[in-house]
Amino acid sequence: MLLTSFSFWLFLAITLIIYFIVPKKMQWVILLISSLVFLFYDNFHLSTVLQALFILLITYIGSQKIYEYQGTKKSKVYLLLSTLTILGLLVYLKYSNLFLVIFNHFCNLVHINHHFGMVYHNTLVGISYFSLIMISYLLDIYHGAHKPQKNIFKLALFMSYFPILTTGPFIRYENVNDELYDKHKFNYHNLCMGLLRIAWGLFKVLVISQRIAIFVDGVYGNYMQFNGFYIVLAAMFFVIQLYTNFSGSIDIIMGVSEIMGITLPENFQAPFFSKTITEFWRRWHITLGTFLKDYIFYPLMKSDFMQGLNRKAQKFLSKKQAKKIPLYFSMLIMWILIGIWHGGAFTYIIGSGLLQFIFIFLEDILTPVSQKINKRLGINTETFGYKLYQVIRTFMLFSFAMIFFRANSLKEAFGIIQNIFVWNPWILLDNTSLYLVGLDMLDFRVLIIALIVLFGVDYLSLKMNVREKLFAQNIVFRWTVIYLLLFAIIIFGCYGEGFNPATFIYRQF
Amino acid sequence: MKRALKSLIFIVILGSLFWILCNLLWLRPTSISFFYDEPKNSLDVVYIGSSNAYVHFNTTLAYQEYGFTTGMLSNDSQPFIATKYLLKEAAKYQKPSLYIIDIMRVVDNLNIVDEGGLRKTIDSMKFSQNRIDLINEVFQYTDAEEDYPNFYFSFLNYHNSWKNITVANFIKVNHLYKGYYFLSKSAEIDPQTKYPWNSEEVKELAPENEKVLKDLIKYIKDNDLEVLFVIPERVYKDGGIYYNQVISIIEENDLKVLNFANLPDFQIDFAHDLYNPSHLNVYGATKYTLYLSRYLKENYDLKSHFGDELYSSWSEEYNRFKKDFKTITGKKFDDVLTECKEAI
Repeated sequence: MLLTSFSFWLFLAITLIIYFIVPKKMQWVILLISSLVFLFYDNFHLSTVLQALFILLITYIGSQKIYEYQGTKKSKVYLLLSTLTILGLLVYLKYSNLFLVIFNHFCNLVHINHHFGMVYHNTLVGISYFSLIMISYLLDIYHGAHKPQKNIFKLALFMSYFPILTTGPFIRYENVNDELYDKHKFNYHNLCMGLLRIAWGLFKVLVISQRIAIFVDGVYGNYMQFNGFYIVLAAMFFVIQLYTNFSGSIDIIMGVSEIMGITLPENFQAPFFSKTITEFWRRWHITLGTFLKDYIFYPLMKSDFMQGLNRKAQKFLSKKQAKKIPLYFSMLIMWILIGIWHGGAFTYIIGSGLLQFIFIFLEDILTPVSQKINKRLGINTETFGYKLYQVIRTFMLFSFAMIFFRANSLKEAFGIIQNIFVWNPWILLDNTSLYLVGLDMLDFRVLIIALIVLFGVDYLSLKMNVREKLFAQNIVFRWTVIYLLLFAIIIFGCYGEGFNPATFIYRQF
Repeated sequence: MKRALKSLIFIVILGSLFWILCNLLWLRPTSISFFYDEPKNSLDVVYIGSSNAYVHFNTTLAYQEYGFTTGMLSNDSQPFIATKYLLKEAAKYQKPSLYIIDIMRVVDNLNIVDEGGLRKTIDSMKFSQNRIDLINEVFQYTDAEEDYPNFYFSFLNYHNSWKNITVANFIKVNHLYKGYYFLSKSAEIDPQTKYPWNSEEVKELAPENEKVLKDLIKYIKDNDLEVLFVIPERVYKDGGIYYNQVISIIEENDLKVLNFANLPDFQIDFAHDLYNPSHLNVYGATKYTLYLSRYLKENYDLKSHFGDELYSSWSEEYNRFKKDFKTITGKKFDDVLTECKEAI
């Protein structure tokens, strides 16, 4: 069920009406039933039902046992058993093909004439999300952050809460459990704020992402025919497509939850205003970053292996430098895992993993150098111009890495990069060339205006709560802005005849 | 209470702006949309059919000759399945003495949706339960369900036409010639393409087509409507063999069929009266209109509105037609009319 489909809005309307009509103590049951309908709507099959039940039961039993034996070795054994079982299922369902590709490459290398075909599993929507959510739930119980949920149906709701199933954000039990099971009165302000956020999400997805996708698909789909600035533009556009698609769908999800009185953690914070890649990742897919930091990076840093590495490095390096070795090593592992999380293909591992690590690593080691150079040359780094340069540099680096993310194979990614090195800036100015890739002049005008609005709102969001500020304005201004937003979606949205239904890029991960 | 009122006002403004936008982005320049413009209960005849209807029957000429008014509920490739629903639609606004139904497309394959024709028909109809019922019935016979919501909400198809918006979108389009559309060019068509009506060969309708026809007949009988079915002059060899059965079904139910393709006293000139193998041009249409309107006047109780000020727009549109005919062909329509009257 796509977030922009007619069936989703019908489903949502019915859910919200029933949610606020039933006795308040039954609200969480309605949420659970809706979530199960959503979960199995497109894929009701014995295997998918078994997958969900399996993960739920493992988590439920595991959590009770971990809590029962807390502070003993048995607790750790149950933690390992339950998390590894869930991970094993996830790896089997989502990453079989990665292992098969590696195995096939290995066979080629050692001249074994054997080739495994790819396998296709019938998997549940959002299985990656809720597998990791359940693992975090088990880890938190192990660390004593909260008690396990005794009611298996309530646990099932935490696992399958429908708005987040498609694209997240990552939720943690201790942050949402109160609101998820609490009684919620209908709140007019929440309704208005939620609807406005949904509208903003639809604007991002339908007016920007779906429109810009036409250009991106046109270039990437025929990359041999395009070069130079076509590729540069397509690479930049893809990052905007990804952002508006992903953050737009998160806005819809947050808005839906807000109407029901449930607050989810923010997942984006104007990432395109970041001055470094490190800062970028603090503002982009925030909940994934926090999740990986808390459950992978910090435990790795504290591990005996890393501490040992630190001690060994101190024999050759200064104490400060030696500390960096386990840091970089942990970061490398974490970034590879981020790449794997995005789908397991090498394009993802390089695009959203290794290259990001390399950029952050270089930023870290080159920052003192660049500070010295700036000082020597007398460059004022506090000026608007310098900050703008940093923002553009970050955006371009991320766009470059995302070429791998968007390409269908490594060969294609390198082919695209090879085609960049042609000097043809006139395509941006000659009034015809740009319009050969699916978007005409009027589409570009709409896109430019929409992007100005997007970046303007993102900028304002760094300084204020834009929606609250809008609702504090007088009614004429407020309604005018809302009508403009709604009619921009209705008129300029890419939906209906002649457009592909909005596909959510992050739905696949 | 204050909040509820504010929300209501917000929704009313939103709905009104949306309604204006819908009308702006889609002009609905079809006979069906013009049908709604006619004053209530002002039509004596309602003519339902595909392009044959509005290209073959000159409503202004019929008025000029006999004083009765005819409304067109017709579109390009209008599916026959829509006929029952258009009868219902007509009854909401008019109380005609007679309905004329063109049965040319009764044989069309219902499994294949002619999207253009269907959309024009459905989108021209005002939003109502009747329109929803039509969509539901169309999709009973086909698997093409992916565009289902688009038929319910035609805006989904037309919102992207903002790119083509011009001054014309802001101006109300005139109802030219009361639904008639004239084709001035002539094409020489081989008479051999016409179906030989003396053939004994009978091909049976597909069961679903037969069901649609019988449902229509049942609706007509249940509502005691006065209906005349017509088969236009041009019928291909391939299609013609089905109509023997169609005519039998209609006549078994004591309803009339006027088969222009097999009328001994109605002949058209295949070298002059056709625009293409599918449509009569203005000369053929004049003959067709003269013959059919005379037949209607002789066989049905149709009022004449000559001299009634309320119907002056019909004479105005006839004069506009004559003027435009002269501009386009360089000929006087009165001369053509005289020739046609002599020919039939």
